Amino acid sequence: MDNQIRQLRTDKGLSQGQLAAAMGVSRQTINSIETGRYTPSLPLAIALARFFAQPVEEVFHADGAP
Amino acid sequence: MPTAPPDPPHTSPRQPPRRVWESRWWVFGTALLLGLALLVANWVGGHPGAGVAMLGLMVVFGSVFLVGRRSETIRLMGQPDERWRTIDLAATAIAGLVLILVIIGAFLWELAHGRDGSPYTQLAAISGVTYLAALLVLRWRS
Repeated sequence: MDNQIRQLRTDKGLSQGQLAAAMGVSRQTINSIETGRYTPSLPLAIALARFFAQPVEEVFHADGAP
Repeated sequence: MPTAPPDPPHTSPRQPPRRVWESRWWVFGTALLLGLALLVANWVGGHPGAGVAMLGLMVVFGSVFLVGRRSETIRLMGQPDERWRTIDLAATAIAGLVLILVIIGAFLWELAHGRDGSPYTQLAAISGVTYLAALLVLRWRS
């Protein structure tokens, strides 16, 4: 699943560790989400979208979705 | 220059409450208890040297969790987040699958050599019953 997490994070000038701390997950988890190797749970996806003040569908894009 | 992250409380997902067995002290204590059980079992069986060696190995294993906090991987094993729980679940499933395959293979080996298949018959039965029970419970809960 594609996402805009890396772009949104760097736009805010945050490190992966800082975003991880804010979300209550590990830095590795943020890295895995950014590289598309891990699809976050719905609560974490919503929390990430809220953190960046974006709708979830603007942050995460399901593969093949129109 | 990186700025401090915004106040997270209203945005952080609700992480599952940390369970007692996810504490690094729990891991160390469990390893120590298992090591002591191995020592006693070996001692009773007449191999105290092997028991001491096994206890030592378990203490070293447990100590890694106490002193290895700088390693993110080791820290996550003690304080897992949702991704680590997913990895742990998959790893457990793979280990269980391999174990079941080995049990079935050993069961067939025993049968082919004219024996009754014990104790692999019972182990295979336990695996099967546990799997079915887990399916029923998990289906009921979801």
